Amino acid sequence: MTNALAATRTHPALRALLRNSWVLGVWLLLGALLLWYTTLIPVFGPFQITSITKNSLPLVYLAIGQAIIVIAGGIDLSLGALLLLSNVIAARFMEGQPVGVVAAIGLALIVGIALLNALTGYIINLSGVPDIVVTLATSYIWSGLALWILPSPGGGTAPEMRWLFTGSPSGIGGSYWPPLLMMLIPGLLVALWARTSRPGLTLYATGSNRTAAQLAGLNVRRAKILAYAIGGAMAALAGLAMVAITGTGDPRFAVGASATLNSVAAVVLGGIALTGGVGNVFGVVATGVTLIMLNPILIAMGVNSNNAQVIQGVLIAGVMMVGGLSAVLRERRS
Amino acid sequence: MKHRSRVHVVGMLLLVLALLVAGCAAPVSAPAAPAGGAADAAATEAPAKEGGFTIGVSNTLVGNGWREQMICAIKAQATASGLVDRVIVVNRNGGPTEQIADLEGLISQGVDAIILNPTDREGLNAVIEAAIAQGIVVVAVDQAVTAEGAYVVTNDQVAYARIGAEWLFETLGGKGKVVEMRGIDGVPADTDRHNGFMEALANYPDIEIVAQTFTGWDPSTGAQQALDLITTTEVDGIWTSGIDYPVVEQFQAANVPFVPIVGADNNGFVKQLLELADEGLVGAAVTNPPAIGAVGLAIALDALTGKNPERVTMLTPELFDTSNVEGLQALYAPDEQVGWSTYVNIPPYTSYSGSADVSACKAPGE
Repeated sequence: MTNALAATRTHPALRALLRNSWVLGVWLLLGALLLWYTTLIPVFGPFQITSITKNSLPLVYLAIGQAIIVIAGGIDLSLGALLLLSNVIAARFMEGQPVGVVAAIGLALIVGIALLNALTGYIINLSGVPDIVVTLATSYIWSGLALWILPSPGGGTAPEMRWLFTGSPSGIGGSYWPPLLMMLIPGLLVALWARTSRPGLTLYATGSNRTAAQLAGLNVRRAKILAYAIGGAMAALAGLAMVAITGTGDPRFAVGASATLNSVAAVVLGGIALTGGVGNVFGVVATGVTLIMLNPILIAMGVNSNNAQVIQGVLIAGVMMVGGLSAVLRERRS
Repeated sequence: MKHRSRVHVVGMLLLVLALLVAGCAAPVSAPAAPAGGAADAAATEAPAKEGGFTIGVSNTLVGNGWREQMICAIKAQATASGLVDRVIVVNRNGGPTEQIADLEGLISQGVDAIILNPTDREGLNAVIEAAIAQGIVVVAVDQAVTAEGAYVVTNDQVAYARIGAEWLFETLGGKGKVVEMRGIDGVPADTDRHNGFMEALANYPDIEIVAQTFTGWDPSTGAQQALDLITTTEVDGIWTSGIDYPVVEQFQAANVPFVPIVGADNNGFVKQLLELADEGLVGAAVTNPPAIGAVGLAIALDALTGKNPERVTMLTPELFDTSNVEGLQALYAPDEQVGWSTYVNIPPYTSYSGSADVSACKAPGE
């Protein structure tokens, strides 16, 4: 309470900084990690920047989608499966097609999977079954569908689409501007939209206190469907990015499952409370990249790769405990 | 109190901003110049080097005994060669997406050569070709890649099945009821092996395949299938795609007389072939060595030291049957697990001394 009072007396810009201190913190962490990584490897140049940005894209997209859903008070375990679905449909139908058709398929996938996941949100509203149960069920449906569409790895896409997400028609070693912009623009747009627009703020209100939001005259059901639709669109984008990076489709269940888990990890690290209503989407862009970067960093440090996963887990737990501790301290002070 | 804490917060934020700017500025100011120069340097420097190499290894299946042994064979051979300073192993579960990131990480590490067990035949070509363009030697082991300029070392899976099946059909006198215990449907190695099996079968018209199973290369699944078969069907011989010792155990458990059986060079099976020969076990172990990793390393070092090795190397499997007691005894590794692949010395490529060195799994400096 005192904090809030103190904040109102300070300069608005400083207030905004204070409110987004976690976001700033994770971007700082990413900056520090990048700086550290440059000292660990012999050469740090465009190749490395491109590599990190493009390889982070699928997770960043998925994390943005998950963030919006979590902010609205839900959680979506099917995002990874939707990524698979988008990935295999793109790989199967884009192969050998001219760029116009590829673009049309890409847009259709984003819209189609957004609608598909909006349907999931609608079912959650209608049935009253917890989000985690419904999305767990749909995750199996979408994964099965993905295997049915593309039974084994294969397919392809147009060089132009590979360039869009990776900066190079062959998927490697290109300019870092396309992947960097493809990462920052959706991140900033979704973050700004959620923080400033009327439907965006409705998401926060719904996630923060559903009953209060409803009593205030907000359409909380529509908010949830909207959140799931955005999550679906981001998962579709993640699937497209993955096709662009590898040039093939990969229907394996494990790909989707680990993507889902990583998206939740990025959201939690990004300072978005799993209880809903709290956090800034732009933070998960940084934590998504951080999670991807941990692997090469640990290997560059000479950590045995079998131990790298343990350390990765310990780091996540550590950062979370710092976050929890600071929240407790803040509460005690007020 | 309140005031001071606010000052602290402002101070912290300034620090954060400063670091953030530093962190962002570094990559932007660094690039352009070194990249091209580094590639040139690597290209001109590589042939001149005669030792002290850094080797990168990329594997994407963790917790699999065969793959772990493959990595250990690379490490053991790196130590034995005396030419390697450091082996960087990137080992995690994943598909092409993860492996591309891992390979880019290894390129960034400035390795001299990369040995990979590829997840995809074509999907990795762009990154492999980028590595080669920087003067890095790339060797794909176990499975092939189509990238131009990459070295490929594989076990001949068609021959693996054909050699074993021919031995079995010959042992049965060209006549009898045979079971084919395959691996996982749709996996390239399984398809190749099935083709080899059918090639052999074509020459033996009186051999009848009474059952075909997919073990999933899982010992317990294979054991259950074998038990069901030998207790319900008349079987004269069994060919397995490597799930061998569990099958022999089922004969013992069910107290059914042994029939001729073909398996791989698994330690447990080799032991059975040696110890149960007196009780009438006739069998043959066909090699499918994970030490192919060490072969890949030897080829990488040859390429780095300017010896121009062959682009494609295919290892032909060896067959050790119960009549070859000396051969089996040389393979048997009493200190290792049942699933240990015993055929670790592959002349002329490997120079470590047998299973003990591979099992120690020590890279230079470890």
